[in-house]
Amino acid sequence: MNQFGLSCTKFAVAAVCASAFTLAAYADETCNSPYTARLIKGQEDYVHVWTLGVDGLGDGSDKLVTVDVNPKSKSYGKVVHALSVGGRGEAHHMGFTDDRKYLWAGGLDDSRIHVFDVGTNPAKPKLVKTIADLPAQTGFVGPHTFYAMPGRMLVQALSNNKDHGGVTGIAVYNNKGKFVAKYTMPTVELGGVKGDGYGYDLAINPKKNVLLTSSFTGWNNYMMDMGKMVQDPEAMKRFGTTMAVWDLKAMKPKQVLAVPGSPLEIRWSLNRKDNWAVTAAALTSKIWLIKPDGKGGWQAKDVATIGDPAKIPLPVDISITADGKGLWVNTFMDGTTRYFDLSNPEAPKQTYSKQTGRQVNMVSQSWDGKRVYITSSLLANWDKKGADNEQFLALFHWDGKELKEQFRIDFNAEKLGRAHHMKFSAKPKAKTAAAPVEVAAQR
Amino acid sequence: MSALRSATGLGLAALLALCAAAHASRGEQRPVAERPAMDYVPPPAGSYTLNVIQPAPDGRVVAADGRFRPLSAYTRGRITLLSLIYTYCTEPTGCAFAYETEVELKRRIIADKTLHDRVRFVSLSFDPVNDDYRSMQAYGGRNARAGGPLPWFFLATRNVTELRPILEGFDQEIELERDAGGRPTRTISHMLKLFLIDRDGMVREIYSTAFLLPEAMLNDIKTLVMEEDARR
Repeated sequence: MNQFGLSCTKFAVAAVCASAFTLAAYADETCNSPYTARLIKGQEDYVHVWTLGVDGLGDGSDKLVTVDVNPKSKSYGKVVHALSVGGRGEAHHMGFTDDRKYLWAGGLDDSRIHVFDVGTNPAKPKLVKTIADLPAQTGFVGPHTFYAMPGRMLVQALSNNKDHGGVTGIAVYNNKGKFVAKYTMPTVELGGVKGDGYGYDLAINPKKNVLLTSSFTGWNNYMMDMGKMVQDPEAMKRFGTTMAVWDLKAMKPKQVLAVPGSPLEIRWSLNRKDNWAVTAAALTSKIWLIKPDGKGGWQAKDVATIGDPAKIPLPVDISITADGKGLWVNTFMDGTTRYFDLSNPEAPKQTYSKQTGRQVNMVSQSWDGKRVYITSSLLANWDKKGADNEQFLALFHWDGKELKEQFRIDFNAEKLGRAHHMKFSAKPKAKTAAAPVEVAAQR
Repeated sequence: MSALRSATGLGLAALLALCAAAHASRGEQRPVAERPAMDYVPPPAGSYTLNVIQPAPDGRVVAADGRFRPLSAYTRGRITLLSLIYTYCTEPTGCAFAYETEVELKRRIIADKTLHDRVRFVSLSFDPVNDDYRSMQAYGGRNARAGGPLPWFFLATRNVTELRPILEGFDQEIELERDAGGRPTRTISHMLKLFLIDRDGMVREIYSTAFLLPEAMLNDIKTLVMEEDARR
């Protein structure tokens, strides 16, 4: 486990009259756990793309692809590193540990969790551990969301190893990768709504001691060919229709909210004065607002429509601005990136849209909102076929009026695979104002 | 590791001159950040379970009398709140904030006789270069001298070699920030963490800045006390 350890040589220098730099930021690039350290408020240096391997393309393996995104760099817009994990497990989402040194990345099919060291040298991440005991420890499969808490990681699963349906739960691991606990998603009635037991995303509001969860579908569906699935009425019934409000401290569900149509990503407003979150329901193409109900509980409200639901645009990832005033929404089927004005979260209004690809899924923005990154893949068996199966990472600049493309990396041409989740990293910050100190170890 | 030992010695020599002002002004005067917002009522003690997150590591530390002792002597047999700090930390949301929270928590524990002789506090420096056992006692001030129903121990380590396994065991990353030339600056980067440890030496809760809420922390301690009592 030395890969999780202290960098001794970094420490063994003679620092004098140092000041601490504690790192518990309220939020991070607008979507990470509020307990994640080292907020990148300036220019990110790298984007790490968790990429699904494709049989016959390159080495065919899932891999962490690192792209240099600093415009001052000679390798700007280029792939600078690709680290294969030696197999295909339906690479999907990632999350930083609380100290932001490690990136946990999950496989929805093989249920393996790969831990990458991205802190030591973000230009060249290293695979330091693979956690393979999620099904054995919990009965859950399909690790989806990785959400840091102090010294540990919450892992929201999508399915289970008994019937591969949508009933699932949350696992807790410590930062060393050891299993700590598990919690099942609610299947009983809480607050007048019966839980469906499904899971997808989770997100915490520390001020309210609230953990909010959403719901998707099980392995049987997310590993099925999408064309086949939509023709199967029974399969289409097996999507989540709820969100759950948990007491974070006690890790107990307190209330189930009815949110039909499979509510996916959860984004709390990062404005300290706010206590609301939004999500997008994939099948009904709706934005939902989750907020206090004024009676000590919570309520979910359908507040906006995304595109024309009759055309099933399939909203997927969303990204909230740091001030909580705007929301990017990607719709997979029409390859469109949409901006909603969230100034009034009770009535979001779409103010901009642009087709950014033939299929688009994830969208991540920089803290200042000036850069918007987009990737293409949803799931290996749900992505489009033939020429529509574009696979890319694209960067756009956003000036408040127009998305202007800066670069686009073709992951098919580069023989990398299907580009999915993104996380940012930055080189260790240089403190030019500070005086250097004596370094005995360098003598 | 000879180079590291050398580094320790040189660092200490440099420190004595340069940190005098900081030491002189320390005392009980510490900048304190605004406490994180807490817009909820914590669940009652005993209504929830604290997970066993990881074992607290052992190691060799330097006690108030300058003698070596195992860290486990301070993390077993009582409920322990352990903080990893360094004495010249000036970040308002860092060590000073942790200290202020502990002082407030101490007041609440002292006020509850059912918690007397059940809890201890430990402040352990992660900078053996600049913090020896004497400076830790000075840092603790009257809290370091007080015994009573809630002892508070201010500990040091002798060198990096002895500190390293402790920090690794707690997963406490620290790092010297570097300047544009790649040389270390005077800033130690660390993520503030306090560890709640049960009498068996298992870490049951980890608090970072957003969790430093005395009311909730007190309930956690009471929860462990109730757990102990139920096992008796």
